Amino acid sequence: MHPSKLQSLCLSLLIAYIAILLPWSGIGLTLRPDFLLLVIIFWMIRAPNLCNIGTAWGAGLLMDLASGGVFGQYALAYTIAAFFAATYQRRLVLFNHYQQLLYVLLLLLTSQVSLLVLKMFTGSQPAGWQYFLPSISGVLLWRIALMMGLKTGARSSGA
Amino acid sequence: MIKGFNHKLEQQPAPAFFVRGPSSFARLAFFSALSIALIATDSRLQYLTALRQDLVALLQPLQTVANAPAQLYRNTDEYFTAHHNLLNENRQFKQQLLKQDIALQRLSTLMLENEHLRNLLQANKALEESSIVGEIVHIGRDPFTKKVIVNRGANDHVVAGAAVVDAVGVIGQVTRTYSSSSEVTLITDTSLAIPIQVERNGLRAIAFGHGRDQTLDLPFLPANVDIRRGDVLVTSGIDGVYPAGLKVGSVTQVKVTADSPFARIVCVPTGGVENHSQVLLVSLAHGEMWEGDEVIATPKPSTKKTRVKSTPTPNNQSKIHAPQ
Repeated sequence: MHPSKLQSLCLSLLIAYIAILLPWSGIGLTLRPDFLLLVIIFWMIRAPNLCNIGTAWGAGLLMDLASGGVFGQYALAYTIAAFFAATYQRRLVLFNHYQQLLYVLLLLLTSQVSLLVLKMFTGSQPAGWQYFLPSISGVLLWRIALMMGLKTGARSSGA
Repeated sequence: MIKGFNHKLEQQPAPAFFVRGPSSFARLAFFSALSIALIATDSRLQYLTALRQDLVALLQPLQTVANAPAQLYRNTDEYFTAHHNLLNENRQFKQQLLKQDIALQRLSTLMLENEHLRNLLQANKALEESSIVGEIVHIGRDPFTKKVIVNRGANDHVVAGAAVVDAVGVIGQVTRTYSSSSEVTLITDTSLAIPIQVERNGLRAIAFGHGRDQTLDLPFLPANVDIRRGDVLVTSGIDGVYPAGLKVGSVTQVKVTADSPFARIVCVPTGGVENHSQVLLVSLAHGEMWEGDEVIATPKPSTKKTRVKSTPTPNNQSKIHAPQ
């Protein structure tokens, strides 16, 4: 279709994954946004024919590998988030920037809540409220990317 | 007839305006089912262990790229460290070395004497251990567990089950080995249990990690147990995993409430569980019995209380001194 677009999709996923693999620790680890899911949401909005739920699932498997947890946990969480992203993708062109931010926040939270539920089933301790900080930082990152001129398909608030 | 043909044509479904493949709901169902199957396979069966090791080996170049900036920063930082800092440190180390040399000299004579006495008594020899120095590469990325990744793996003969210690005490246990790295579960993780002994009176018990706050629990000890604040806990060595006598933690709180037959005992680990980067991986020479991937089969105290109670808890009341 668009070989250049496919290339940039793969490259951005790779960069996001390396960003996840960076040796985060302490407060950085608590605040680290989910780069991979952010990139996936972006491409699901921009190029739904290239990036779909299957891509999200594959990326989730990579996250499982990186986190060292049971295979399939991140995969399922990403699949659920990507499902909502795909369902409301066509409606998104009507959103302005702030509505889009809220939508992205909800998607990130969906993935985190699904992961939390899965972890509870496997007998983990309940996490504190800091567990949800990556969603907030992820939205902030999205906002910064918008300010730097990334086009996410939303109408600017003035239009 | 033509009318009928036309009708047939009209009956055909209109081609989709945008080709989108299967509906997103179908995809959701398919990939969710796949994920759940994977979760079930990976948590209950051991098929994916080898696959995971291979995939992590494939991931190694990416990990190296990701570690490069931090490594570069550390190297430059080291390069610009002031001269007198190094000199000071050197002086300190020399003093420390002198002290330890004296202790070592005494140790070697003691070891000879110990061996001799054991021969006289015809007692079994104490287990010998082998150790490898490793460095913590990064902290585990899963926010629900307390794990670190160490840069020594199966290539360096690290086995799952090896104890991980730093200069002051035990910090954890190797739970998974990859080709050139291994995953260490810290003693503060809820899934890790460690058999301990109170140094003061030889009382044996099991310490469990407490999870989020950096403490250990000693559950299921009776309210009248002889443990005081400040007691030092060392590994008992009866499990065949940890060598005996390594420091684990010290008791900071002993709380007895009227409504519970058990005392609530909180300990703080001695080792810098999340501070140091250099660690020692100690495995007993006869470590072959730990072949499985998951070595820590001890049930968690919080979620599976009933099972813990039914298993024989260490003999708490009779304060037997462990055979030395």
